[in-house]
Amino acid sequence: MLLETRGLSKRFGQQYALKQVNLQILPGEIHGLVGENGAGKSTLIKILTGVYTRDEGQVLWEGKEVSDLNPVASRRLGINVIHQDRHLIPQFNAVENVYLGLEYETRGAVAIDWKQMRSAVERIMQELSIELPLNVPAMYLTPPQKTLVEIIRGMMTDCKLFILDEPTASLTDKETDILFDLILKLKQKGTSVLYVSHRMEEIFRLTDRITVLKNGELVSTVQTSEVDLDGLVALMTDNWQSRKRLTERRVGAEVLRVNRLASVDQKVKDASFVVREGEILGIFGLGGSGRTELLETIYGLRKSARGEVVLSGEAYEKRTPRESLKRGMVLISEDRRGQALIESLTVRKNVVLSTLDRYARVGVMDGKREIRDTEGQIRALDIKTKGVNQVVKELSGGNQQKVVFAKALLAEPKVFLCDEPTQGVDIRTREEIHNLLRAKAEEGKTVVFVSSDLQEMLDVVDTFVILTEGRTTHVVKNEDLTSEQVLSYCYAGTREKESSR
Amino acid sequence: MIKRVDYRHITRSYGTILAGIAVTIVFAILRPDAFATWANLINITRQISLLVIIAIGATLVMSIEEFDLSVGAMASLGGVLAAKMAVAGFPMILCFLLPPVVAFTIGFVNGWIVTRFRVLSFVVTLAMSTIIGGFTFWFTGGATIFRDIPRSFRYVGSANVLGIPLLTIIMFVLVILFWFIMKHTSFGRKLYAIGGNEVAAEVSGLNVKKYKILAFSLCSALAAFTGILMSSRLGSAHPTGGDGLFLQSYAAVFLGRTVFKEGVPNIWGTFVGAAILGVLANGLTIMQVPTYMRDLLTGAIIIAAVVAQKVGRD
Repeated sequence: MLLETRGLSKRFGQQYALKQVNLQILPGEIHGLVGENGAGKSTLIKILTGVYTRDEGQVLWEGKEVSDLNPVASRRLGINVIHQDRHLIPQFNAVENVYLGLEYETRGAVAIDWKQMRSAVERIMQELSIELPLNVPAMYLTPPQKTLVEIIRGMMTDCKLFILDEPTASLTDKETDILFDLILKLKQKGTSVLYVSHRMEEIFRLTDRITVLKNGELVSTVQTSEVDLDGLVALMTDNWQSRKRLTERRVGAEVLRVNRLASVDQKVKDASFVVREGEILGIFGLGGSGRTELLETIYGLRKSARGEVVLSGEAYEKRTPRESLKRGMVLISEDRRGQALIESLTVRKNVVLSTLDRYARVGVMDGKREIRDTEGQIRALDIKTKGVNQVVKELSGGNQQKVVFAKALLAEPKVFLCDEPTQGVDIRTREEIHNLLRAKAEEGKTVVFVSSDLQEMLDVVDTFVILTEGRTTHVVKNEDLTSEQVLSYCYAGTREKESSR
Repeated sequence: MIKRVDYRHITRSYGTILAGIAVTIVFAILRPDAFATWANLINITRQISLLVIIAIGATLVMSIEEFDLSVGAMASLGGVLAAKMAVAGFPMILCFLLPPVVAFTIGFVNGWIVTRFRVLSFVVTLAMSTIIGGFTFWFTGGATIFRDIPRSFRYVGSANVLGIPLLTIIMFVLVILFWFIMKHTSFGRKLYAIGGNEVAAEVSGLNVKKYKILAFSLCSALAAFTGILMSSRLGSAHPTGGDGLFLQSYAAVFLGRTVFKEGVPNIWGTFVGAAILGVLANGLTIMQVPTYMRDLLTGAIIIAAVVAQKVGRD
């Protein structure tokens, strides 16, 4: 046994992120790690690499208990993690990057012996039969080449376990093949790999065994050869039934139509859907599917390459946030601190931000009306604050989110684009936000709802649009729907690819 | 419970003002005859008027979390342009209005480059400063303009109204005007929003580029106007005459940030900052302290003020 965890637990506040996890990784195996959003994959990786400390349980490395697991200790054991966002210095070439944090080879007292360092790197490249330009700064390397640099860096220090976290997210099919060849070579050399991915096709193609996490618990570790896609998906999800409250809502005329939309950066490749008055439409996809990017492209925050948006029957071409607000479409951004709020300003100044010009006569602010309306919103949304002049930074997450909604409501939009509107808020606020959106829908407004919490989506939305790797693949009515069905739609995209191979 | 005086809180909130008052008291005790007089107070307001006006512009640009390093060169250009025009016999009103319009345009270009290509304002305005300096040198041949400057051009810089220098009055008018703009208009609100979080401002529907460009343009116009006032006061225009105002103006803005607890650039804060620098310069001159001591002290004060504020926030 290379690595074993016994009864590993991690709490954040009252919430268990990991609960009694017993993971076993064998020497020289490729071990898949799968689970839904928030199942605990990242937490587990962060504990193994020493970023988080565990609350309970043991970690055993080659049979011996490791008591103090910090990032340095983890690397010294031989654990290397390769993230989606690569940690290379752009101006440094491969040799320089490989030797970051390692002892430099020197000649004499101070002179760095680049020649010797270079040949050390070349030796490893030969062993793994990797080809890589060594004189080129990292910023000019392709994504898989960067991954190669990180793998070489890991191999310099006798790496026994590579953790690859969604390594193919930005790779093309051909680049993925190159990476997979390398992973198989690592395996032949006896190095173990923990492979984390949402892409089931890759998991099945590559791994020997698969561990499934769900709600922080280890459901099962299975032999890859003994399970199929449906079986795996069934393990990954509690089969929630939709708990959507049946309302007498009447869905009216079409309000927003998105047709074959693609963003310049290709995070959104081909998205189409239609939403109507009084409808709550949910866009669901796995991590990296482009949900946030889709909303941003519609709103005009992200540049689009192709496709059209039709708002209230009118083609809406040159999209900017400003124009979207004018036309009655508002975005509740996922990134509250980065995109939705100006934390250093007061509640009042944030609440009226989108409607400033309405409160100004010849440019001069009408302070009284501003305060009156802000106080109105504070009452209506039950925002817990010391007053209109409290700085937003001092509010709790839930109340901050209410400030974001207050700002949106003052703009009186007919379309709400909500990206993870309940992320990081308490249960009560979450319920309040759901009720608010339902009420708006009943008034005939349109809501586009994105959440990575499938259960929440099943409770709230009328219709599901499934987004896979930037493409909308299915539209499903939320009637007697189960989470297993939704997830199988998500994985269906990859299944189709698989069968076409 | 007995309410104790929280000294730490007081120094954090009013430290800069207290330091200013302390400096004033020290000078008043040391030289009551020369320093603590009504005439000297009036004198100080006139001395700081140019600094305050140019620093108002710097405050606008710093409120959007950008820098304009070209204000000094812009002031020199403004002074030289106006003096040349006056010598050439242009109507006075044009001498005072046209250079700021030219400067506004240059500021517009600064802002446009910064917003359009998302480059550091630091670099763009530094380069622009060099360009303006080169142009001014070419325009004047490197010489000071002082011959044939009409009396009427010197009026604004030297006149008194009811015993108060016109420069002092202009300064206070601009301080109050821009305080009102920054505090009570949607324009000011938007600048602070952009400075607080540019992305959030954009998501909230603000035309971020437009207001950033406007801030740069106004800053340049105010700098050129300062240069004109300087030429009018001195009765001459030197091609690098305004350059020295650049560092001083940012010193005033940085000191001004520390005056109120929000820690953002603000007009009254900038005024207080400039006033502290002015009192210091005036007092030390009266005490016949060499100029280099003044520079040492000014630098030390600015570092102390910004450090005190950082420490106070934690």
